[in-house]
Amino acid sequence: MVRRYRFYTFLFVLLCANLFFVHRTFPQNNQNSAADTVQNELTFHHAVMCEEVKDLAPINPAVVFSIKIGKVSCFSVFDTVLEKTFIYHKWFHKDIPSTNKKLTVQPPRWATYSSIQLRETDKGPWRVEISDRKGNLLHILRFSITD
Amino acid sequence: MSFFATIRWQDIVDILLNSYILFRLYVLFRETYVFRVLTGLSLLWIFQRIAVFFGLILTSWVLQGITALAALIIIIVFRNELRSVLQAKNLKAILWGFPQKSVPTTIQIITDSVNALSRRHIGALIVLPAKEDLKDMVQGGIPLRGLVSKEMITSIFWGDNPVHDGAAIIEGDRIAEVGVILPLSYRSDLPSQYGTRHRAALGLAEITDALIVVVSQETGNVLVAKDSKIKKIHGNAALIKILQEHMGVYEEENGYQQKERFKISIAAIVSVFFIAGMWLSFSKGLDSLITLEIPAEYTNRDPRFEIVKASVHTVRLDLAGSGTLIKSIQPEKVQVKLDLENAVVGQNIFSITQKDITLPPGIFLRKVVPSVIKVTLDETIQREIPVQIDWVGELPKGLILSKINFDPEKIEVIGGKRILENLSTIYTEKVNLDSMKTSGTMFANLALTPAALKIAPGSKDRIRIGYVIKPRIE
Repeated sequence: MVRRYRFYTFLFVLLCANLFFVHRTFPQNNQNSAADTVQNELTFHHAVMCEEVKDLAPINPAVVFSIKIGKVSCFSVFDTVLEKTFIYHKWFHKDIPSTNKKLTVQPPRWATYSSIQLRETDKGPWRVEISDRKGNLLHILRFSITD
Repeated sequence: MSFFATIRWQDIVDILLNSYILFRLYVLFRETYVFRVLTGLSLLWIFQRIAVFFGLILTSWVLQGITALAALIIIIVFRNELRSVLQAKNLKAILWGFPQKSVPTTIQIITDSVNALSRRHIGALIVLPAKEDLKDMVQGGIPLRGLVSKEMITSIFWGDNPVHDGAAIIEGDRIAEVGVILPLSYRSDLPSQYGTRHRAALGLAEITDALIVVVSQETGNVLVAKDSKIKKIHGNAALIKILQEHMGVYEEENGYQQKERFKISIAAIVSVFFIAGMWLSFSKGLDSLITLEIPAEYTNRDPRFEIVKASVHTVRLDLAGSGTLIKSIQPEKVQVKLDLENAVVGQNIFSITQKDITLPPGIFLRKVVPSVIKVTLDETIQREIPVQIDWVGELPKGLILSKINFDPEKIEVIGGKRILENLSTIYTEKVNLDSMKTSGTMFANLALTPAALKIAPGSKDRIRIGYVIKPRIE
């Protein structure tokens, strides 16, 4: 009988220690409950910059694009989408905001993309920040437009 | 009155110091060849300035050349004189002392000569006239007009000299006549050992106010005859005293010292006036203007802060001064320094005042443009910032740069808080695509913008880039 109580006491202590350890190791998990809520709606899978998107597949994914192709796209994939939501593709040219595209994402798995038309003045370094509907940053893509 | 108000204590010290240097140069080098040549050089310089004033181009050019050449020659030719003045004397003699002339006097020479003749038992008769003229009292005589010297007197009375039996008449510092025949005394009360020389000396002393020195050939005794009296002299000091009394040398020496003091006083006054004149011509003629662009410097900056922006980086100064000083001004000697001791984070406005500007002596500030500088300070922080490769150029046709990886992906940067908080990317220098045909690795430097940013110690400043090149799908 005493051995059974000892066993339950040991399990209880182990549980408490485990909870404490988790709290200490991942303290940031409790810092942004809003992010948790949103991140639970969808899970970011991957994203690439590409020349164009055909049949929901990126064509010629790359990190440098010639101005001559006239267009560049940001293709992003989310694999666990619990409910209909939306994400943002924020485009920056030389750290200056260029455009902000709002894109819908639907369950259960979704791929979406945004594109920009290229002009001569668009040469230089670019980045696209992919964020959820609450503005939580999910991923950053960096690329360049050259000759 | 306003002129005297502009004179600073440094100006007084400047004039007095240089006057003393000039005065000491005069004292040390006077009556040397160097001094005479220096005087000549100074005259040349004055003539050259006059020539410049009147616009005599060729004359001023030639005089300037001669003066410059002469200054060089004086150092080479008179190096021994210069060395003897500057080396042989101690520091006190150079700074304070007055070199005394050690020229032997006529009295000293006569005494030494008489002494030498006496030792050798060479008879001598030396006449030193006073006020009365001796022409009618003596006979014969050969004019000599030579400077008095011991060698000369000794040789006159040397046994083989045709004039050694006569007397030598010394007037001032010259031997006027030799071989002079003096009138003899016919007194009967003279000692029997007195010979013709003694009688001749006494004979002239009886009828004139001259003083006659006799050296006895037999005994070597020295006697002096004056005012009908003749007496033996014991020792040089007694002879010197008698000669001094006769020639009135005390007064003469005092007069000489007074003359020297007067000369030195005049030299001191001339030195002060000369240097004061030079100082006035250098510093007070505000006839020239110059404009300089001087970079603004900042001092006493709190090490936690950094200057991120300044409304201007250089300040324009309009300066005035004499033409000579303006011509010799060196821009690096002019400084504009702003004290940031009380500056705070954000924008600070500083008025540039006279105390912020360092000017060479004799140069005056007329105007500062701009008169106000706005300086923005920021707190220095360190932050990790992502790196991005800045590609340029064009890949060969049919290829794409499909993938890259680089190390480090982020670097630690030190800079102003306001800058770093708004900075999201650090770019590399331009990386050219033109020659990239196959996958590989390369290195690129970082391009920190703005330049005030610094890479933190321990963080890499070169980026290793691995890249994958693939054929483009058409």
